[in-house]
Amino acid sequence: MSDKIDIRTLRSNVESINALPTVPSTLRRISLVMEKPSIGLDELGSLISNDPALTAKILRMINSAAYGFPGRISSVSHATMLLGLSVIKGLLIGVSVFELMEKTMIGLWEHSLGCTVVARMIAQKKGLKEPEEVSVCGLLHDIGKAVLMLQYAEMYDKAMHEAEKTGTNIHETEAGYFMASHAEVGHWLVKKWHFPMNLVETIRYHHHPNLSKQSPIETAIVHVSDVLVRAKGVGYPGDLVVPAVHPAAWKLLNLSENDVGDLLNNLEDATSSVREMT
Amino acid sequence: MPKVSVEDLKAGMKLAKALSRGNMVLLGEGTVLTETWISRIGDMGVDAIFVDGPSEQPIPKEEAIRQLDLRFRNVLDKPYMERIKKMVQEHIERLYV
Repeated sequence: MSDKIDIRTLRSNVESINALPTVPSTLRRISLVMEKPSIGLDELGSLISNDPALTAKILRMINSAAYGFPGRISSVSHATMLLGLSVIKGLLIGVSVFELMEKTMIGLWEHSLGCTVVARMIAQKKGLKEPEEVSVCGLLHDIGKAVLMLQYAEMYDKAMHEAEKTGTNIHETEAGYFMASHAEVGHWLVKKWHFPMNLVETIRYHHHPNLSKQSPIETAIVHVSDVLVRAKGVGYPGDLVVPAVHPAAWKLLNLSENDVGDLLNNLEDATSSVREMT
Repeated sequence: MPKVSVEDLKAGMKLAKALSRGNMVLLGEGTVLTETWISRIGDMGVDAIFVDGPSEQPIPKEEAIRQLDLRFRNVLDKPYMERIKKMVQEHIERLYV
C-alpha cells in the first residue's frame, strides 16, 4: 500500500470542514446552517438578508450573465420566491465557495461559472423544467477539488503538476494520491448539506455519467458542459487537457452544431463578465 | 458582443442588447450611443452594457489555435472529439473577424 490516506479518514476530514481554521468564515457559517436536516426558505432568506455582504454577492450572481433573468432581481425575498430552496442553497454555497476557490486554485471559479452558463443553456434547449437547478449543479460540480486543495494542498498540488507535466486529466492523476476522487469528495459534502438527489448525483458522476441512475440527463449535461468549457479553454480546472466526452452522454443530449455554436457564444459573453462577480 | 463598462463606452458604439429597467425598455437594441446617452447610463447606476462587435481577445488567434491543438492532443481518436474540436475551432475563428 502507498501512503494514501485511508478513505474513512479522508471522508471524516472532509466532512468536518467546519473545524478547519483555514475555511473562510462565510462558508463555515453557511455549512453549519445547511447541516440542519430541515431548513426553510424563510430561514435561509433571513440568513442572507441579515448579512449585507452576502446579500450583495447573491444578488450580483443572480443578476449576472450566468443566470440572465429578464430585468433585475433586487431583493432576496424576490429571489427566493423565483428560484426556490435548492437553487438558493446552491447559490449560497457557490458564493461562499468562491472565496475558497480563489484561495486554493486560481481559475477553478471561472471554470465553474463557465459550466454554470453552459449547463443552464443545455437544460433550456432540452426543455428541462428547472434549468436553474442544473446550472447550480454546474456551479458546484468541482467543489471537491477546492476542498481537497484546502485540506491537502501539498498532495493536490503534486497531482496537478503531474497532470500538467504528463498531459493527463486531474481526475486521473489525483487517483494516485487519494483514495477518493474530487467527485466523490464533493458528493459527500453536498449530501451532508442535504442537497437534492440530482445535485448529489451530478457531482458524484460528472466524469462517469453512465453511472447515474436518478438523474442521467442532468449528469450528462454537467459532464458535457465540463468538456465544452475545457474545450474552449475557459478557466483552469487543475489540468490543461480536454477529456474525451462520454459517447452515451453526448448522444443522449444530441446537440446540433448550431446548438454548440450558441453555447460557445454565450460562454464567450459570460466569460467577459466573470471577473465582475467577486 | 463585448460587455463594456460605463467608463469605457464611447459615442458611436451600438447596443447589442436592449437596456431595460424592470419591464421598461430604456434604450432599444441597436441604439447608437451618444455622449448624452452614455452619461445618463452612468447616472442610472448601470455598471456595464453589451455593445456590438467581437469581444477583445486576450491572445492572438494563432496562439489560441495552438493552445486548442494542445488541449485536444490526446483525445482526437475518441468518439465525437474531432467534431467537437472542429466546432470550437470555428467558434474561435469567428471571434477574430
